[in-house]
Amino acid sequence: MTARIVIADDDADIRALVRISAVRAGFDVVAEVGDGDAAIAAVHEFVPDLALLDVSMPGLSGIEVCTAVRADPALDSVRILLLSAAVGEASMASGLAAGATAYLSKPFSPRDLAASLIELLGEDAS
Amino acid sequence: MRGLLERIRHILTVDHPSPALKQSPTPIALIISLILIWTVPDLVITDGSWAIVGIGLVTIATVLSALFTWRSRYSGWAIVIPVIDFIGIGAFRAGTGGTASIFSAMIILPVVWVAAEKGRGYIALAGVGVAIALMLPYIFGVAQITDAGDLIRGFFSPVIFVFAAVIINELARQSRSQLASIRSLADEKERMLQRTFEYASQLEESESRYRAADRLFRGVWAAVTEQSVIGTDVTGLIDAWNPGATKMFGLTWRQAEGKRYVFDFHVPEELEVRARELNYPPGQTVLNPGFSALVETARLGDAESREWTYVRDDGSTFPVSLSVTKRTNEDGQTAGYLFVAADITQEREVSRLKDEFVGLISHELRTPLSSILGYLELMKDDDEHPLSDEQMQYLGVAERNAHRLLRLVGDLLFTAQVESGKFPLDSREVELETIVRAAVESARPGASAAGITLVEELPARSPVTHGDPVRLGQAFDNLISNALKFTPRGGTVTVSLTETEKDAVITVTDTGMGIAESELDQLFARFFRASTATRNAVPGVGLGLTITKAIVTAHHGEMDVQSEEGVGTQFSVILPLASVAISPS
Repeated sequence: MTARIVIADDDADIRALVRISAVRAGFDVVAEVGDGDAAIAAVHEFVPDLALLDVSMPGLSGIEVCTAVRADPALDSVRILLLSAAVGEASMASGLAAGATAYLSKPFSPRDLAASLIELLGEDAS
Repeated sequence: MRGLLERIRHILTVDHPSPALKQSPTPIALIISLILIWTVPDLVITDGSWAIVGIGLVTIATVLSALFTWRSRYSGWAIVIPVIDFIGIGAFRAGTGGTASIFSAMIILPVVWVAAEKGRGYIALAGVGVAIALMLPYIFGVAQITDAGDLIRGFFSPVIFVFAAVIINELARQSRSQLASIRSLADEKERMLQRTFEYASQLEESESRYRAADRLFRGVWAAVTEQSVIGTDVTGLIDAWNPGATKMFGLTWRQAEGKRYVFDFHVPEELEVRARELNYPPGQTVLNPGFSALVETARLGDAESREWTYVRDDGSTFPVSLSVTKRTNEDGQTAGYLFVAADITQEREVSRLKDEFVGLISHELRTPLSSILGYLELMKDDDEHPLSDEQMQYLGVAERNAHRLLRLVGDLLFTAQVESGKFPLDSREVELETIVRAAVESARPGASAAGITLVEELPARSPVTHGDPVRLGQAFDNLISNALKFTPRGGTVTVSLTETEKDAVITVTDTGMGIAESELDQLFARFFRASTATRNAVPGVGLGLTITKAIVTAHHGEMDVQSEEGVGTQFSVILPLASVAISPS
């Protein structure tokens, strides 16, 4: 079964870039949203294998979404990859502390993103 | 006119009698004698020639006395005046009866003058003068010694006059001595008076300066309205409270001085934490042990400046930058402390806004760069629609410049972090050889493409320092990349790592265009670009060395640069060694 991914980023170009990278890597992008509230709704609706969340989004931030997802035991299986344009280890540490599975800094290489997705989702990739 | 009066005063001065004053009795006596001769029938001039000679000589002596008085530089010759008087009076005596002349007594006048001069020799001169005056009639044959009485008179009278001269000389000596004493006392009195005037003048000046300083101090004290200045005794009891403190806390000096303690305005927990940090230093007050922590550094003689939180009586708080210094008394003993504080609420807000701005810029610049770089990579990796070599070359240029822009954004953000003091270091013990080797290896392709020989001189045993490997790698990358940029094709860049007793030394030496000596001290300033860089169109914005220096400084290291235009440049990074060195794995 193809691993399913929800993408949340307020920048449409980045969303498309992530989608293309994920699809090329063989994953199924089930939802693309542009803000935090929509991200929570999409995660609840699709219960994806992985939610790829931008840290800085209108409304709820990626970290707040991450915290909310981790607070719901029904979503325990959802792995979370945070994307952030912020620099520094403090930013990464706060993301991981909120329950993110992995953290990727912008700008990122589509190749590296695909490699990270494969590493996180393992044999779920088709 | 004033000069004339001064001369007249000089002539008439009694304690320093002038020749004219000393001579004046003689012509007066002569005039009286002439009047007597003219008016008294029994008195007659017996020899007109001698009388005229006598009058003439006294007149000459009088004229000379006036001349010597007027021209004081001739006063040393004034003694000739009484000598002339002796001869003149002797001649007048010879012309008015010789030994029988009633005017013989006039001889006493030059005797007094001569005998009063300083020195025993003048007694002899007076005696000789008297003898000449009395014997003149006999010497020139005007009179004859007829009996023993004449002979005795010729010797006896001079002896009497000599006795008188001795007495006068001694009295004059005593008078001079007394006068000298009086003058000495007068001089001393004058000096003391002068000194008193000087002291009074100095006192007046000091008082004036003190008043000016007092006015200045009061002016400054009143003018400091944006900083609180609080003075306390050794227990922390407030004894000085400036208008700035009034503005800061809303309390007047009357409400604070002598009534409140400085630690009343601190957060007790902060004082407690500081006291714990200092292992509860011994204090001068038992009212609040935290006060000892507050003044500990100042108590030991150093000024201390750190951030604290002040508390107003209504419970509101605000951050301050507080400097504490010691006050001493006249004996140098600690008399209390001075607390000068500035409210830094606004600075904190500016810092927060700056952080926000940095975060915003970080996001807003890096997000579009993510898209640019990501889509460029997608195009290059599109196996279904492969690009031509030319198209790949164009994309390579775009990608290289996007990376350049990304590095610039990274450098700007890093510089902002350094400036705001939020420069995170993930420090651990690191082998410098590994970091330097990695930096050299990552630069090797670039060096090869530029036709530059990159040489590494690394030790078998790696020096170990305590530091952040990522940041140190960034610093070495910057130095090597700079050296490559400034070295022409065919040149050499040498990277070496050595160890001294306490430090590890990393040097990056190039055979490039060098830097002008006048620019070396500006090299680490933000956005500074050496003239050789701009002249040779070497790309860059002037942040690399600023960042490198910041990293080295954060590692308690130092940087050094030596350069010669047209010959090359050597940058050295000196980092303190960790306590032990381990062999490279």
